[in-house]
Amino acid sequence: MLRTVAFVIALTAAQTAPPPTKTPQPKGKAPVSNEILRVKLPRPAEADLPNGLHLIVLEDRRLPQISFEIIIPGAGGYFDAPDRLGVAAFTASMMREGTTSRTSQQIAEQIDSMAAGLSASTGASSWSASISGSSLTEHFDRLLALTADVLLHPTFPQEELDRYKPRTRAGLVQQRTSPQFLANELYARILFGPHPGSRVAPTLESLDKASRDALVAWHRERYVPDHAAIAIAGDISLAEARSRLESSLSGWKKTGVPKAVVENPTDLAGARIAMVARPNSVQTSLFVGTQSINRTSPDHPAFVVANRVIGGGSSARLYNNLREQKGYTYGAYSGLSAGLYRGSWQATTDVRTEVTSPAIDEILGEIQRLRSEPVPDAELQEAKRAMVASFALSLESPETVINYYITRWQYGLAADYWDKYPERLMAVTAGEVQAIAKKYLDPSRLQLVAVGDAKIADTLKSRGTVEIYDTEGKRISLP
Amino acid sequence: MRALVSRIALGLLISGTGVAHSGITTPKFAYTDHTLANGLRVLVAEDHYAPVVSVAIVYNVGSRDERKGRTGFAHLFEHMMFKGSANVADGEHSRLIQNNGGRMNATTDQDRTLYYDTLPANQLDLVLFLEADRMRSLDISRENLDNQRNAVQEERRLRLDNQPYGRTFEALQSLAYENSYKHLPIGSMEDLNAASVEDVAQFFKTYYAPNNAVMAIVGDVDTKACLARVREYFENIPSQARPPSVDMSEPPQAAERRQTVEDPLARLTRLDVAYKIPDARSPDLEPLQVLSLALGGGRSSRLYQSLVRDRQVAAQTGTAVGETRGPGLFQVFIAVTPGKPVSDVEEALSAQLEAVKTGELAAWELDKARNAVRRGFIGSMGSSFDRAVLLAEYTAFLGKPDKIFTQLDEIAAVTAADVQRVARQYLRGESRTVVVTVPKAAPKSDGGEGGA
Repeated sequence: MLRTVAFVIALTAAQTAPPPTKTPQPKGKAPVSNEILRVKLPRPAEADLPNGLHLIVLEDRRLPQISFEIIIPGAGGYFDAPDRLGVAAFTASMMREGTTSRTSQQIAEQIDSMAAGLSASTGASSWSASISGSSLTEHFDRLLALTADVLLHPTFPQEELDRYKPRTRAGLVQQRTSPQFLANELYARILFGPHPGSRVAPTLESLDKASRDALVAWHRERYVPDHAAIAIAGDISLAEARSRLESSLSGWKKTGVPKAVVENPTDLAGARIAMVARPNSVQTSLFVGTQSINRTSPDHPAFVVANRVIGGGSSARLYNNLREQKGYTYGAYSGLSAGLYRGSWQATTDVRTEVTSPAIDEILGEIQRLRSEPVPDAELQEAKRAMVASFALSLESPETVINYYITRWQYGLAADYWDKYPERLMAVTAGEVQAIAKKYLDPSRLQLVAVGDAKIADTLKSRGTVEIYDTEGKRISLP
Repeated sequence: MRALVSRIALGLLISGTGVAHSGITTPKFAYTDHTLANGLRVLVAEDHYAPVVSVAIVYNVGSRDERKGRTGFAHLFEHMMFKGSANVADGEHSRLIQNNGGRMNATTDQDRTLYYDTLPANQLDLVLFLEADRMRSLDISRENLDNQRNAVQEERRLRLDNQPYGRTFEALQSLAYENSYKHLPIGSMEDLNAASVEDVAQFFKTYYAPNNAVMAIVGDVDTKACLARVREYFENIPSQARPPSVDMSEPPQAAERRQTVEDPLARLTRLDVAYKIPDARSPDLEPLQVLSLALGGGRSSRLYQSLVRDRQVAAQTGTAVGETRGPGLFQVFIAVTPGKPVSDVEEALSAQLEAVKTGELAAWELDKARNAVRRGFIGSMGSSFDRAVLLAEYTAFLGKPDKIFTQLDEIAAVTAADVQRVARQYLRGESRTVVVTVPKAAPKSDGGEGGA
């Protein structure tokens, strides 16, 4: 409770500060076409294969290239056992390191000599694993054969695992030098607690523990087609894709396993402040935010608009305030993620150490402004127009368009979801945006994470109890 | 508003071009090429596939043109281009582009400053108006300069001073060059502080003249109508005297240059090796690109297979060929496995370099380079933005954009013997610059870090 109160006090301070410096008035002389280009996204063709695999094909003959992504629910880091973090990611990475008919080196040479791409991966908190690839049309059959080999017949050679570990270990050590990584890691931990949404990267200990047997079992049990999808975009038709997949993936059999279930995280108990004391920092990396919504929430369109207004780009409030008016930073933005479980919303920026405190005040002030004042009509219209008009740009890239349909499949959205989406955004009112801010961005739910020099602890302490961590993620107390 | 730390990323982008080999059709695109009365070069390529238009403007000025005491100025100036002009308010450019569904930004490197916009095609007038207004009448004020000086100094902290190896990039560049490639486009804090309003005004007049720029427009436009609009907006912007040319010649390097950088933010030792190579006009650039892909491109590359996978002395390897207007660099970087001495890595690297000098590349390695260039080219053909940038940059650098279409033939013609020859000619001990970055005061936990 104390922390919450402290946060409210901080907010009050920001509110009573002098009004924000002026935003320069537009001169309004540039010729703007008032027509918003209404574009209809091309619809991919879809089909279900007998083994359960859902096929999505966006045929686009303009260029001789094809890209694909296979999404395998249940094989992502979300499902790692808490004491075996990273098994999902290690399994995915090791699939390219040897199959029953190809060595690691042969796989690398065959892919690179075509200048094709092929990678298997999963996020540490992700619901699914993904195998994605791309090539020129003339190489697609060869790429598909390689993909099938990597997907169905990886052998996880012990010798390759022994080589994989030190280089992965170096990468895990290396990434802790990035202040943005540390901020993101601590923020996820504060936001999601024991829920797998808190996972950002495996630990050195879990890497050491990962055994060949664990990887083999993960692959055997979880790389199943029952609930998977493959999305293909480019120089290929549904019929062509289907016949190629039916032959190359004929060995991928349905297993009857149920679809993996994802849970929401528990609600946040209150506001928290946490920091990483990072020696030699000359900037403070800030995250201020909270848990958001599920992708299928009816609040989604209004939250998307609210996010755009406050921090969705260099014409939004945070950027204008913290960079263009105050000169605290190179950039200040906000982001909304919403998935199968409640995601996150956060404002992020990197500011020079000396202005850490006023920068936090400005971020909190902008959040408060979104809660207390309806967005002026002109600004709201601009924000919505920005998003709706930008759909035209995605038509250039079949890879971008098919991603919309992967989202549709992943969250079970209506077949005409993307046709109606622009109307849905345009219908969002200032009242709805304000209601979103009031409901979700309440000061009692806000989490503040800062990564920087130890001396910022003092300014943070004036806002409430501060949890302090070292760059290894261990709780410490400063002298 | 990005300041590229070096030209590497762009060089790789540009290297993704070419035309067909082995009888397979590679798409081409048509364009028109006009020079307005005031010297502004304008290229237009129609493409009605999507209702989108991209505009790229290259101003022929970069950090190479900066004088002593004003490093970072070209990039700081680039920021000023978003702070308003006679008919556009501070920030209005970005807001109008974004709020009408577009994207825009700018970037400065050693050789050029590039501004770019992609919009729904019905906003062509808007983007032409905005670009013309700031080319004609930039609004220069002390307040705006101070504000952007702050933004740029935070950009420097974000990208260099608060990240591991930030000082490495500076050290390598500074050690390798005598000419004005010696400093990075981001500049020094002191010099950024010294920049004055008068500097901004003079720089604008000298370099932001129509006769010092190339504009490319690609997308859903009618060429004739588009050119008429371009003339209307741009042709009466006065031209200026030709900017002074910069001597980019480099004295031959007679001996290895070497420096150790202690980095308190790094955890892994890092080895950077750079060799001087000719400028981007040289026909040796193609065999050097093939060599770079063989040594450092992907997991099949020689350095990855040997240093990372086999000997495990490195955690990461990479190579890059700088395509610069003055003498370039062939760069190798290696992240050293914790606990392995850097001398082992240097020795392993030397063995690999020796192998490309004494032996020839395999057929599949030549295929790899050809296909990489071809895929890059085809990939960029799908994007109006990529094509606009290619047209504007090649024209600004080489006088005409033909190389977009001829580069694949040039890469396809490279033989294993060519690659061996350039390896012998350029990857010589005496012409190399070596920077070893060692972590300073590595943390106590998890033993092993710290390298050599």
